[in-house]
Amino acid sequence: MSSVPLAAYLLLALILFCIGLFGALTKRNAVIVLISIELMLNAVNINLVAFAKYSINPGLTGQIFSLFTITVAAAEAAVGLAILIALYRNRQTVNVDEMDMMKR
Amino acid sequence: MTGEMIAFFFLALTAIAGGVLLINLTNVVHMVVALIFTFIAIAGIYITLSAEFVAVVQVLIYSGAITIIMLFGIMLTRHQEKDRRAPRLKVILTGLAIGLFFLIMYGKIKDLDFGQQNAELHIDNTKKIGIELYSHYLIPFELTSVLLLVALIGSIILAKRDDDEKEAKK
Amino acid sequence: MLQISWLIPLFPLLSFILLLIFRKSRSEGTAWIGVLLTGISLVLSVGIWLAVWQGDEIKTEGTWFHIGERAITMGFEVNPLNALMLVIVSLVSFLVHLYSKGYMHGDERFPVFFAYLGLFSFAMLGLVLSPNLLQLYMFWELVGLGSFLLIGFYYYKPEAKKAAKKAFIMTRIGDVGLFIGMVLLFWQVGSFEYDDIFASVQNGEISSGMLTLTALCIFVGAIGKSGQLPLHTWLPDAMEGPTPVSALIHAATMVAAGVYLVAAMYPLFQASETALTVVAVVGGVTAIFAASIGLMQKDIKRVLAYSTVSQLGYMMLALGASGYVAGIFHLTTHAFFKALLFLAAGSVIHAVHTQNIEEMGGLWKKLRLTGLLFLIGALAISGFPLLSGFFSKDEILASTYADGRYGLFWLAVVAAFMTAFYMFRLFFLVFTGKPRGNQSKVHESPSVMTLPMIVLGVLAVVAGYLNTTWFGTFLSDYLAKGPVELPHGDHHGPGWIPIVATAASLLGIGLAYLIYQKETLSRSWLSRMFPGLSHIIYNKWYVDEGYDATFVKGTKGLSKLGVLFDRYVVDGLVASVTAGVQGLAKAGSRLQNGQVQSYGTAAIFGLVILLLIVALTGGYFS
Repeated sequence: MSSVPLAAYLLLALILFCIGLFGALTKRNAVIVLISIELMLNAVNINLVAFAKYSINPGLTGQIFSLFTITVAAAEAAVGLAILIALYRNRQTVNVDEMDMMKR
Repeated sequence: MTGEMIAFFFLALTAIAGGVLLINLTNVVHMVVALIFTFIAIAGIYITLSAEFVAVVQVLIYSGAITIIMLFGIMLTRHQEKDRRAPRLKVILTGLAIGLFFLIMYGKIKDLDFGQQNAELHIDNTKKIGIELYSHYLIPFELTSVLLLVALIGSIILAKRDDDEKEAKK
Repeated sequence: MLQISWLIPLFPLLSFILLLIFRKSRSEGTAWIGVLLTGISLVLSVGIWLAVWQGDEIKTEGTWFHIGERAITMGFEVNPLNALMLVIVSLVSFLVHLYSKGYMHGDERFPVFFAYLGLFSFAMLGLVLSPNLLQLYMFWELVGLGSFLLIGFYYYKPEAKKAAKKAFIMTRIGDVGLFIGMVLLFWQVGSFEYDDIFASVQNGEISSGMLTLTALCIFVGAIGKSGQLPLHTWLPDAMEGPTPVSALIHAATMVAAGVYLVAAMYPLFQASETALTVVAVVGGVTAIFAASIGLMQKDIKRVLAYSTVSQLGYMMLALGASGYVAGIFHLTTHAFFKALLFLAAGSVIHAVHTQNIEEMGGLWKKLRLTGLLFLIGALAISGFPLLSGFFSKDEILASTYADGRYGLFWLAVVAAFMTAFYMFRLFFLVFTGKPRGNQSKVHESPSVMTLPMIVLGVLAVVAGYLNTTWFGTFLSDYLAKGPVELPHGDHHGPGWIPIVATAASLLGIGLAYLIYQKETLSRSWLSRMFPGLSHIIYNKWYVDEGYDATFVKGTKGLSKLGVLFDRYVVDGLVASVTAGVQGLAKAGSRLQNGQVQSYGTAAIFGLVILLLIVALTGGYFS
């Protein structure tokens, strides 16, 4: 019925996840780090939805779970940004590598 | 080569291109804009996976809300316009680790196939999701609203507290 | 009567404990505790001796503990030999206690001195009463401890400290020999008991080579304690202790313990001709060697110390030459006259506050009594006819001759000549001639000091009559009742021996008179005749220097090697370990740079490693 195999979706999700992970670990701008994390979450969502369709027992559960994930991601983005702004007010920077107060 | 496949390739390429741009661009605003493409492409992927409602939510929340929030965040904070490069050694090490991770995972998923089931997910997709949410997933759904509320209040307090302190100091 | 003999050592022990309790006391009345308690010991000892004289003996033992099948016993034994020793020890100890009351007058640690004396007396009496080698060894070490404490009594003087350490270490070398001999005997016989050992020696259960070896090991212990060659150097240095200590420990009792040990183990020695020869040769050589050093010494106590070494050599010579009775006889008489000489020397030192004989002279008029007693002692030790030393020395010479050791016999005669010479050199330099030092405050010692000297003086004169060819051989009859079967019954040499001995001693006295009194011969006459020899003798044959160059330097070199090893190898190892740990810690702390992304990278690395393991091994489920 569908000509695109499951592995293709999973590969796409893996590539996006790796890109997101690389961005999250190497980018210095905190906003970009947050966005990279959103990208990783998206990759996971692709997996969820893909399995919802192509698993042995297809159903809506995967889609609904991805909805919850999106909600949590939105909340996370909001809180993350709030923290970022609070930090920026105190330290005048959004560079991740300058945020090492715990060590100092 | 069916139309579905063509659509998938197009969307996947767009998504990956957005991701690559995110890594390689130097201007922060450009990065976020590049990512919008990725998010929209992912919404298209959802449609090919017979998840219309999720696709719509994706467009609404990611491409709309989250990206806008991020842009606000960028605008509210001062930046060197160009994001400085990370130290070379760190990039290489991280890339190495992620590359290994990719290879291992790829080796495991490339032949994964559970066979095709005749699932009618695209028929009345939104309605079915609504019924599920309000029956089977009612409690998690309500809890999500609590989570969102907490996030809302928390964000306001976090972003606002410093002003109070400054006023108290004055 | 004999059942209570175990009480004898306990009185000095009690004195030790009591005096330790009162050690802070400033009162010199504390001395009476020691005097009284040793006095009780003396009375008991004499009583027991009289009972033994009647032919009584006792041996009481109880099991102390078991080693496997073998029982180790403890107890006490009284036989003629140790009854005699009991009397000598407790008598000298008592007299020295009394004497010290005067001599130590005004010392800050007065009670402590008496406490140490008590400890020493306890140990010495216990040693004498021991019925087995193990018990003897314990008291042997205790005696060494007492000696150490008393030599180092003036511990604020560096020489005294050094001398105490030296005495302790030198005697320890001998003690190791004794210990080895003891263990060998236990291995061979399975018992520390004298009786068991003698029985198995008699039954020929021990091979002759092993017999010689054990006898020699035990003799090494005796060498250490009795200051024989080559371990004699501690004894002259031990003169840094107070003079009464020298009289008690380093003249009369402790140094005689070596002789006593050989005498007590005599059947073992008798069984090995080699061992007896070694004993005789060591004794004879020590006798003349120490006497030669005594010729040139300037310190009054050192002269006496070398004389002690020499006389102990005589005793060893006698024992080695099968002159058992002669050895014990000389031990007895020597204890009296040497203690007398030391006490008299102490009295002189007490009066003039110097030990250098060059600064004395002309003391005869001022110290009439001391001088007279010193003269008696000197005559006795020189072997002047009819005094005690004459008889005992004659006995030794006779038995040496009878044993067929003619070389050693003439050595002993020469040593006797030297003894007479240096004793009278001492006497003339100290008591006659013109005063050479400041003697304004010289006065006779108090009666508490002269009284013990008088007692010893009397004994020094009459003790010889215990065993004479003329009046009766009481002592040898008495000792014959002991556990030791005496060698040849009658070994009185030819009649000319006493004449030779007397001639030698008179010659020595006469020569000393000519050089130091009449000064018809210059004092440097001898040293000019043999300049090299006299130089060597003056420096005590360079024995100390030799030990210093070999053993001390060797030990120091070894220690330096050890230090280098420790500093570079051990410390290097430790340092490299610490450096390694520190480096690791530094690397670890550098990883902790507080950056979230670094931690994330590390986490990814960990995840990758885990995944690699799972991927390569196929995972848990496959």
